[in-house]
Amino acid sequence: MSDAGVVRLLLFRVGNLLCATEAERVREILPRLEPTRIPGAPPVVAGIVNVRGTLVTVVEGWRALRQAAPAPPLPPAPASGSAPSPAPAPAPASDPMTGGGAGGGGERVGGEGGDVAGTTVLLELDGGKKVLGFTVDEVVDLLSVGGEALERRQALPGIDPTLVRAVGRRAGQLFVVLDTDALLTPILSS
Amino acid sequence: MDLSQYAELFLAESREHLSACNQLLLDWERAPANPAPVGGLFRAVHTVKGMAATMGYARVTDLAHRAENLLDLVRRGARPATDDLLQLLFRARDGLEHAVELSVAGREDEIDVAEVVADLDGAAAALAGVRSGARPTATPGPAPEVAGPITPGRLVQVTLRAEAPLKGGRAVLALKKARSLGEIHDVTPPEVAFEAEDFDGRFSFRIGGAAAPGDIERVVRSAGDVEHVTVGGEERRPAPEAPGPSGAGTPDARTRHIRVDLGRLDGLMDLIGELVTVRGRLNELAAERRDPAIDDVAIQVSRLSSELQAEIIQARMTPVWQVFDRFPRLVRDLARELGKQVAFRVEGKEIEVDRAILDELGDPLLHLLRNAVDHGIESPADRKRRGKKPEGEIVLTAVRERASVAISVRDDGRGIDRAKVLARAKREGIVDAHAEALTDDQLLRVLARPGFSTAEAVTSVSGRGVGIDVAMTRIRALGGSLDIRTEAGKGTTFVMRLPVTLAIVRALIAGVGPERYALPLTYVAETVEFGVQATTIVEGREAIVLRDRVVPLVHLRRLLGVAGDPPARWPIIVLEMGDRRSGIVVDGMLGQQEIVVKGFDAPRGTLPVFSGATIMGDGMPALILDAGGLV
Repeated sequence: MSDAGVVRLLLFRVGNLLCATEAERVREILPRLEPTRIPGAPPVVAGIVNVRGTLVTVVEGWRALRQAAPAPPLPPAPASGSAPSPAPAPAPASDPMTGGGAGGGGERVGGEGGDVAGTTVLLELDGGKKVLGFTVDEVVDLLSVGGEALERRQALPGIDPTLVRAVGRRAGQLFVVLDTDALLTPILSS
Repeated sequence: MDLSQYAELFLAESREHLSACNQLLLDWERAPANPAPVGGLFRAVHTVKGMAATMGYARVTDLAHRAENLLDLVRRGARPATDDLLQLLFRARDGLEHAVELSVAGREDEIDVAEVVADLDGAAAALAGVRSGARPTATPGPAPEVAGPITPGRLVQVTLRAEAPLKGGRAVLALKKARSLGEIHDVTPPEVAFEAEDFDGRFSFRIGGAAAPGDIERVVRSAGDVEHVTVGGEERRPAPEAPGPSGAGTPDARTRHIRVDLGRLDGLMDLIGELVTVRGRLNELAAERRDPAIDDVAIQVSRLSSELQAEIIQARMTPVWQVFDRFPRLVRDLARELGKQVAFRVEGKEIEVDRAILDELGDPLLHLLRNAVDHGIESPADRKRRGKKPEGEIVLTAVRERASVAISVRDDGRGIDRAKVLARAKREGIVDAHAEALTDDQLLRVLARPGFSTAEAVTSVSGRGVGIDVAMTRIRALGGSLDIRTEAGKGTTFVMRLPVTLAIVRALIAGVGPERYALPLTYVAETVEFGVQATTIVEGREAIVLRDRVVPLVHLRRLLGVAGDPPARWPIIVLEMGDRRSGIVVDGMLGQQEIVVKGFDAPRGTLPVFSGATIMGDGMPALILDAGGLV
């Protein structure tokens, strides 16, 4: 995260965390797809999904970030075409690390959104050599921020500091820019 | 004329000719009294020289020229091969190969061939001195010069192959060759026009001298890439079996062939893969609708896409000689280095496999052949003591079996000392301390342990394991298997079995609980159904007895961790890989279909029994079970 220049960030919510990743690493945003289980893989791996003929391994976001499971249990079928229009800004909450509208983990995701039953973000890993799916509760916003608006702060409650590249603020609410390589690469075998 | 665009073609063609040279030299070495290979060598080197000259690679041209000089003298004198001569020619060939690669890479100034050039010239001078009345400098032209009276001469019309690269260069070469037979006049279009972009490869000239039309044609054709030649108004067509310019041992891959970038074929393969998936969906829809009109279309689409798929797979098929051809030389060199005598034979080199598989075969085969020469074949003295021929034999064979190809490396050497391997395996705790013998299968498992025999303890088999783990890993990654048979004093055979193609395979779809898995038919021997009570325990493993053979069972449900209870009667898929069999217990068979094999990023911990994944007709992914991981 350099001080100069503007970074475009995709903001999304996983459990109580408002997270961000550089938009240039986002290959695509898809509705949640039903995965095929991979025997032997750790629980954090949802399985593989078919993205227009390409197989993509999907990581369960709430497990990777140690958040509560979205409830009710995930519906099995792919949600009907709910491409993520940048959702309206969630209302600021008192706890800076708490996503809008969610009083605590385990509440219904995307309350008024209705049919949005989770989203899969396809992320480029390792400089674009690999693409992995990452499930999130909802996509919140696409944001351009100046590099100076991001703080290189790592210790935050509720998240492993090694996964945090920086911290920013949107509408008074803190978000963490995830180090997706650090988060996801260890899940893949070499 | 900008030649850089031809560099790739020059490289590919030169490699073909130089590979042929290797083969011819080896042939000659085997039968030194038979001078037949020399003609081929001469032509191959000559062709490389011509192409290099056209490309302006002066050093390659020079080296080729000197090698050609020597070969010409040898050929005319019908001299038998001597060891020195062969060594020199091998060196010259290697030097040429190196020079060609460097030239194409634009590093011509790094070429250092002074030594081999001096040796070639020395040998040529010595030979020329031996021949009585030999001209001091041999002309490369294949026919003697004829000094006849200057006449208007015969009209010669030449058409080069439409797909020939470097047409201008070929034309110049053809003229140059023709000059060795007589005076050339009336070149149409004039020679300068050969360099033009739009030169279409058609030209004519008149040739003086007394050369017969047949000779003129032969000489012109020796320039290469000549489609047809008309001499004196009378068109002469080549006999169909007439050797082409590269008729130096390599099958002529150019006639009516084009070179296609492998990436294109891969792209086609991906597309056909998509098509096959969509076809599956269409068939399902058609079955639901029960509309005869849709059915008709679905059936036609099925048929057409099957044919298209077969064609594309066929286009990817490549004969194994493309990889095998470099081994005779390799085995020879290694044998010389180690002081062994080895007769190396290749069988079934015309067998075809998918290019993607073939590309991966080189390394494993190299390891196996090295092992055979180094550790299999005994020294000549040793062999004599054991009452064997001093010359050992190594045979590399490709055979087509059902949907797979078996490639074996067989030697008639000392075999692997099981007792020593067993002792060592016990010490390392790989096998039970009370084990009395190793089966072939166990032996292979021990040998294939990384670094197993790198330690010095097992002298007589030292190195046996080196490379076997590498070969094994590579073969398994291709969905294949490796087997070993060895007998003390008689020799060792390694057999690798590989699918013919990786891209699309026929597979059995097995159901386990709510999940589906694809199992390629390549290694499926049969399917049977058994009740729980029909199983026995053999050597601590649950098994069934099928026609007097014990087949150990693998419960897919347990292996893959699928919850729930299995049905009372078990469908069992019997897999067979070489001598090994295994029965895969599933819940149900859901039919057979063509599947497109795709890769996926396997997370840490993924069971090592999958070779990829595919997309089913309903769009859901299904994992593909790897027979090698289950048997």
